[in-house]
Amino acid sequence: MTRTRVTSVAVVLVLAILGGWAWGDVKGSKHDFSNAEWAGGDGCSACHGPQRSEPPEAAPLWDAKADLNRVFGSPLNGTRRAGEGTSVCLRCHDGTIAKDSVSDQTKERFANRQHSGVFAGGHQRSDHPVGVEYPQFDKGYRPITSVVATGTVTLPENRVECSSCHDPHDMSGEEHMLVTSNGRSALCLVCHKK
Amino acid sequence: MRMRRVQLAGSVVLATVSVVAFGDESIVNSKHDLSVRGPGPIRAIGEDEVCIFCHTPHNAAPQTPLWNRENPRTHYRIYDSSTTDARIDQPSGPSKMCLSCHDGSMALGSLLSLSVTEPMVMTARTIPPGSADLTGDLSDDHPIGFHYDRALSNSDRQVRPPEVVSRDMPMGPHGEVHCTTCHDPHNNALGDFLRVSDQMSAICVTCHDLDGWYRASHTTSRKRTTGRAVDARERLKYGTVRDNGCMVCHKIHSAPEAERLLRHTAEEDNCLNCHSGAVASFNIAADIRKRSGHDPRWRTGVHDAAETPFTMRRHVECVDCHNPHAAQANRVGVVRGTLGQTVKGPNLHVSGVTISGRETERADYLYEICLKCHGDSALRPRLGTSRQVSQTNVRFEFQTSNPSFHPVAGPRRNSEVPSLLSPLNAGSVITCTDCHNSDNARSAGGSGANGPHGSLNDGLLVRNLDTADFTSESADSYALCYGCHDRQSILNDESFSRHRRHIVDIRTPCVVCHDPHGVYRGQGNATNHSHLLNFDLAVVTPADTSTGRRVEYVDTGRFSGTCTMTCHGFPHVNFPYANATAAGASRSRSRGVSR
Repeated sequence: MTRTRVTSVAVVLVLAILGGWAWGDVKGSKHDFSNAEWAGGDGCSACHGPQRSEPPEAAPLWDAKADLNRVFGSPLNGTRRAGEGTSVCLRCHDGTIAKDSVSDQTKERFANRQHSGVFAGGHQRSDHPVGVEYPQFDKGYRPITSVVATGTVTLPENRVECSSCHDPHDMSGEEHMLVTSNGRSALCLVCHKK
Repeated sequence: MRMRRVQLAGSVVLATVSVVAFGDESIVNSKHDLSVRGPGPIRAIGEDEVCIFCHTPHNAAPQTPLWNRENPRTHYRIYDSSTTDARIDQPSGPSKMCLSCHDGSMALGSLLSLSVTEPMVMTARTIPPGSADLTGDLSDDHPIGFHYDRALSNSDRQVRPPEVVSRDMPMGPHGEVHCTTCHDPHNNALGDFLRVSDQMSAICVTCHDLDGWYRASHTTSRKRTTGRAVDARERLKYGTVRDNGCMVCHKIHSAPEAERLLRHTAEEDNCLNCHSGAVASFNIAADIRKRSGHDPRWRTGVHDAAETPFTMRRHVECVDCHNPHAAQANRVGVVRGTLGQTVKGPNLHVSGVTISGRETERADYLYEICLKCHGDSALRPRLGTSRQVSQTNVRFEFQTSNPSFHPVAGPRRNSEVPSLLSPLNAGSVITCTDCHNSDNARSAGGSGANGPHGSLNDGLLVRNLDTADFTSESADSYALCYGCHDRQSILNDESFSRHRRHIVDIRTPCVVCHDPHGVYRGQGNATNHSHLLNFDLAVVTPADTSTGRRVEYVDTGRFSGTCTMTCHGFPHVNFPYANATAAGASRSRSRGVSR
């Protein structure tokens, strides 16, 4: 009991600290939804909400309606399964799922825009693969250790997710919410040995 | 101090890492780095990213490598050749991605990730004319867009089976050859973005398995090709013939002669550029200009590697007798009657026609190469002399079943030729080139290349042979014949008892009575045409006999016969001769007739 309470307090504290830290960057970015009515008006609930968190393993308290087991087409052969760092993004950036999670208006905006960076129609043929295992034995790619050693690109469970390249909180302030600058294509070349 | 050392070590490590990361093997700082900091003349004005010119992470074209460009035109002029077994299609897949810049038509800065109205601003709108601009005409470039499968390697023995082609040379999903089979657009470590080095043409022979290539002179020669010795328009990449390999004669892209991707349109120029004393040892270019020669400059664009000797238009090119992929230097000095008759180094792997008239992909004997043009071929030239029996098909003249012939296609085994000089004997076999050869050939004691390239003597003869009537006999006047037939023996009448009388006294040249190639069995017989007797009717005219006007020789036995004709105004009617002793053959040859 005591241990649970201590843990809970610790989690709340960490969340509060991290949340405050993240919020400082999200504010004013394209992901700043503090004025969006559908998002609950607090700026965080669009994606995070302890009261709505169902899967116990969803550490960042994702909105439960994010489909963690979403399967979609891929430019690589076969289909891929989105991990956490992808499914929560696709919730909005797909335009076809989680219809009640965003307003219809916003959903349509994403779905119809040509150059907004959406995975239109649930197909990923025209986009960099996500939800894929990092091809660590392909000589065209650098070893996982050297990717992780950059400290910017992350490979959760050795998989490439949206969050590998994009930081939804826009901590770095880079274009397209990239985790680090892509000057000289540095971000691409973290993984690609080209 | 310690801190500094750590910093120093750190920076060394960092430097090493960055060199490894972006060394020669990276697209960064290669010619394909079109960013504002790229090294080449073609680059963006402001863009700092490297990948963006071809790839985009989102909203790419529906092609696998997240393609960021529109596809180029759909129709190109494609490569064709009379000898290819491949079915060459329009370029597709990755090849078209390369062509979206390299056909020189599409704007370099037109990217899918950018608005159509605001393309990337580049230093050049399209690829400027030059080696990187392949244009819409791909007929002068190495073919792409064909399936490299077992069917191809089965029908063309000179390409390797696809499964043994190195994994370093990837084909498309259906086994088709693309630009990317040879080129890795991201890696310029070997130059020209090649996947395998082109030194000694390693990349070419990964697929091409040419008969005789590995022992050919063009593969092994260390002759210098410095500067523009090989091609005035281009400085070759390497310094020796063997290192440049295929590139000495071929250009893989934008070849001036599209079919077979040759450097020069005139066939012989591909050879003579080096074989003019510039690179190769012998000056063949000088030989072919002589008054009597196989001058390859005669025709251009007639020779075709797929031609058949029976129907081709008359022409002569270096490659009719030589296979540049297999030719080796002739290390055997050929002197007067070669005793092994199989083709030697310079003529290896050349097609021919056998003495029985069958086409062969690989001539075993030198004469088979000659018979391609001098045998059954169409439009053979007329003879210079009018003889009793006329024949322009040299293949017929040398049949070993003929009543008489020079032993080219096989030995004659005629014991009535006492004049033969050692090492020749009645069982010897000679070659066409024993008589027809450059006058300065090493085999004739000169310093030039062997072979019938060109001669100052008529008939492309290696030595002088006077054919005019009333020629004063001398060692030089019939030098060709005396090369094998001892002058002293002839003048001593060791075979025909009236040789000296006819040659020296009456001044009749050898070729008035003898037809040097032979008399075809279908036209002559062993009685009237033994000993190569086939009179020149310009000198020998018919004689009146009781049975009408006749020109006739009759063989009546060993060293004996009769003649019926009028010669130099003197009529012979059944005029007999005999050398009954036959001991003439054993007479000393050291009697004082100077040669």
